[in-house]
Amino acid sequence: MSDTAETPQDIVLDYELDEAPEKVWRALTRPELVAAWLGPNDIEAEVGRRFSLEPTPGKPVDCEVLEADPERRLSYLWREADERGGAVDSTVTFEVTPTPLGGSHLRLVHSGFRAAGAGSMTDAANDNTLMQRSLKWAA
Amino acid sequence: MINMAPESLDHTGVFRALADPTRRAVFERLMSSEMTVSDLTSGFEVSQPAISQHLAALRGVGLVSERRTGRFAFYKAEPAALAPLVDWIDRYRAFWPERIERLKDVLKGMDQ
Repeated sequence: MSDTAETPQDIVLDYELDEAPEKVWRALTRPELVAAWLGPNDIEAEVGRRFSLEPTPGKPVDCEVLEADPERRLSYLWREADERGGAVDSTVTFEVTPTPLGGSHLRLVHSGFRAAGAGSMTDAANDNTLMQRSLKWAA
Repeated sequence: MINMAPESLDHTGVFRALADPTRRAVFERLMSSEMTVSDLTSGFEVSQPAISQHLAALRGVGLVSERRTGRFAFYKAEPAALAPLVDWIDRYRAFWPERIERLKDVLKGMDQ
């Protein structure tokens, strides 16, 4: 990654939970359970599925499932409107791994903050590398 | 977007302005010192008009300011303009730990 101190940093949070991955997964993907900790929603853990989420009343977030690997990894696009009619896109990812004592390690990553329609700062760097590679192949 | 006055600065504009790697590099160079367009151009393999365009975009969202002395224009970075972007992310830094605490309560209350 070529991100520097001036660019926004990803948010990475780690938690040790007593519950097994199967249970954690349910809490991350069942609408009625998600509603109890994150807000009203119509989530369905299927890649490509769009759903809405309202973590704060009156401020809905448009989401789209990017990855859904049951009991392991759930990732969705998080699109929030700003005050001026634009939107900021980011990605929220939950990684669940079993721990030896039957619990789970939960890692939450909120990353890739970017203006909707523009590449993320990380994507921009990757695109650049991709372009250079393509040029090498073409040569 | 490019012609926006600094007072109409918004999250999206700042995010968008910094999404471009060259523009980000221009901003970073201007953090270290005030420069003219030709000072800046010497450090990049990008044409002077292209650098001027990046500067205009950065000025449009308040990330860069211009000072004119005679026929010279000097540019410098305005890191304070990053504040809305930093605030946006800080809001989530506070949001998630609080929600994960709620998630823990939900997990405690779930049936097997």
